[in-house]
Amino acid sequence: MPDSFEPKIVGFLCNWCSYAGADMTGTSRIPYPSNIRIVRVPCSGRVDPLYVLKAFQEGADGVLVAGCHPGDCHYGDGNLYARRRYALMRSFLDFVGIDAGRLRVEWVSASEGNRFAQVVAELTEQVRQLGPWAGLREGQQEAA
Amino acid sequence: MNHEIQDGIRIRARELLSLGEVGCVIGHERGPRGRVRPVFVHDAGDAGRLVWDQTCHHNLVVYLRDRAAPSRRGDAPLRAGIVARPCDVRALNVLIHEGQVARDQVFVIGVACPGMLAEEAEGAGGSLAEHCRRCKERVPLFYDALVGEPPPVDAVVDAWEDLAELEGSTPGERLAFWIREFDRCIRCYACRQACPGCYCFECLAEQVDPQWVSIAHRVPQKAFFHVMRAYHLAGRCAECHACDLACPMHIPLSLLNRKIAKEVKALFGYTAGADPTIPPPLATFRKDEELPL
Amino acid sequence: MKVATRDALARWLDSVMVQRSVIAPRRVEGELLYRPVRSSDDIVFDFERTALSPKTYLLPDTQVVLEVEKRDRAVTLIEPELGREQVIFGIRPCDARALRVLDALLLGRTPADAYYAERREATTLVGLACPQLWDDCFCSSLGSGPDDGSAVDLMICEAESGYLLSANTEKGKVLLEQLEAEETEQACPASETAGARVAVRPPEEWRAVFDDGYWLRLAERCLSCHACTYVCPTCRCFDVRDDTIASGPGLARFRRLRAWDSCMAPAYRRIAGGHNPRPDKAQRLRNRYYCKFCYSPLDFDVVACVGCGRCIAACPVGIDITEMLGEVAALAEERS
Repeated sequence: MPDSFEPKIVGFLCNWCSYAGADMTGTSRIPYPSNIRIVRVPCSGRVDPLYVLKAFQEGADGVLVAGCHPGDCHYGDGNLYARRRYALMRSFLDFVGIDAGRLRVEWVSASEGNRFAQVVAELTEQVRQLGPWAGLREGQQEAA
Repeated sequence: MNHEIQDGIRIRARELLSLGEVGCVIGHERGPRGRVRPVFVHDAGDAGRLVWDQTCHHNLVVYLRDRAAPSRRGDAPLRAGIVARPCDVRALNVLIHEGQVARDQVFVIGVACPGMLAEEAEGAGGSLAEHCRRCKERVPLFYDALVGEPPPVDAVVDAWEDLAELEGSTPGERLAFWIREFDRCIRCYACRQACPGCYCFECLAEQVDPQWVSIAHRVPQKAFFHVMRAYHLAGRCAECHACDLACPMHIPLSLLNRKIAKEVKALFGYTAGADPTIPPPLATFRKDEELPL
Repeated sequence: MKVATRDALARWLDSVMVQRSVIAPRRVEGELLYRPVRSSDDIVFDFERTALSPKTYLLPDTQVVLEVEKRDRAVTLIEPELGREQVIFGIRPCDARALRVLDALLLGRTPADAYYAERREATTLVGLACPQLWDDCFCSSLGSGPDDGSAVDLMICEAESGYLLSANTEKGKVLLEQLEAEETEQACPASETAGARVAVRPPEEWRAVFDDGYWLRLAERCLSCHACTYVCPTCRCFDVRDDTIASGPGLARFRRLRAWDSCMAPAYRRIAGGHNPRPDKAQRLRNRYYCKFCYSPLDFDVVACVGCGRCIAACPVGIDITEMLGEVAALAEERS
């Protein structure tokens, strides 16, 4: 695959922890790959698995869903539902052909600026290795 | 054996209808071309129309949402009798659990089921459908009356063998498989309409505002519908295979639902429709659980 | 009339494929469907009936009718490209007659359906007679028959000596000229039409039975899926929706899609404000049959059914249009 492949990563970050964590990364001047495009949501429990599928269909090569650490959810239990949903969705998408390595679910607290950078760097590299995702999208080869 | 079940159904239906215990009995009849199809018998005198054999694969529970829903406008809904195999009763249990059907509005004529014949085998007195060969339930989880003698459970077949080939493939191979399968989908929604678990007033695939998916009949849109429908049945799918059987293009849709059911079982020890006292897995959580993410 | 072997036909079709799209019956993961073919090797010559008609090649299941791009204030309208000339090979008499029905429904009024008209003009129909009525078929009850070549440009039937071909139209003649084959005086063998005839009653009689309780009973088993309407060669309802394909600061691109819709869908006739004149499936099922057998004859002078029988095969719950027709005939008898 071309060396110049720059994965497009879509990140769904919960406002209270992971988005604040990403903010921390920025304010601390810690570099992280600009491959990620961040969508701020109130809670990881708000991230409908439908959005993840849509992201892949609309141009994402990889998706990050990040929330508060279990037990620390701003709303109490949103991320605990998310944890179950994504445990299922990740293996299910893999079953449909979207490699599990393309979807990462992480718990990042507001103070984990370093960690957020690390997660994004790891995911970007992993998706770069997996290559561009073009399946189940407009313009892909239909079955013959 | 089939004759015994058929007679049992007719006797029970005649009794229920003549005593006025139900407004109708939902079962099967033979259509003008010899194939079985669902039937709604309203009079005791028509009970003779009811038939039963190993081609009666329709999950009739799908009709109960209209028939036995808890009253919304103050009218008492008609009580319905229904012919139900073990898989059908699991689906019914899901609907009861979700408040879509009230248990006391349904008289379940449970069938001790010997399994359905494979489509190709019909008429040739041949083998059971693949999903029936795997099934270990012979008697429905609950019933108001049972017809038939429970046949023996055969030697255990690997519970998830239908998934093995795909699970053993690479993601790329799996993608190619699903593209081939979704290619001939005509977006007729027969799978969704035949599914007892799909009762949304407006399906995400048809919603206008927001429009989650375009109306195009192309693989990306069809894949979106099938993936999201299967996901919305996570922990709810009774694995009755009504979707496979309804599909005019014979797409093996149940593979999607069964993959999720397998993960639900492995991660949460939960089987849809088995025990209504257990909260559905996606409607709950355990604080300290470790899940593969 | 020309006579040709299957090999000769195959070579002919391969040469036609160079210039135009050829759509023919092909196996797709076990289902027999009309699909574009790249080689005559893909074509299935011996078959009964395909799961879907070739309707989508004239009335596409999905079609972009317009693309719109807005860059700041500048709006550009982009019309879709016209498709290639196409030949539908192996179309059955019923499906070809269905196009005549669609002509009446879609071209019979002003404005005509321009997209359908364009495809119709660009299409040459090469028919293949059925030697007999297949299971579920009833074309002979609707004024046609398994060997009816009247609606195609070029008709083929199978005889002992090979395939017999005759052109009915200028388009058909031009295509036939490209086939190197001997002339023959043979005539096509008549197809077997034995089978129960189905009574199709006139619109006035349908009007008389509109309120009968039969329609409620018939629809009890209906699931309100779209299978019957999509496999039907004469059903033509569609939906139009806009689909955003790109947007950003100062830029919006969207396209207007036209796709098949079904009158069986609960929301099909729901209008702004939420009112739905056909909220019950019995009303919708009844309406579908009335559209075919009452309204179309009255409004367009055609019965909008060609007896292909696909709806019978496709219905997951065994609703049978011939059974319904028989019941309507019986009800009409009672009232007369």
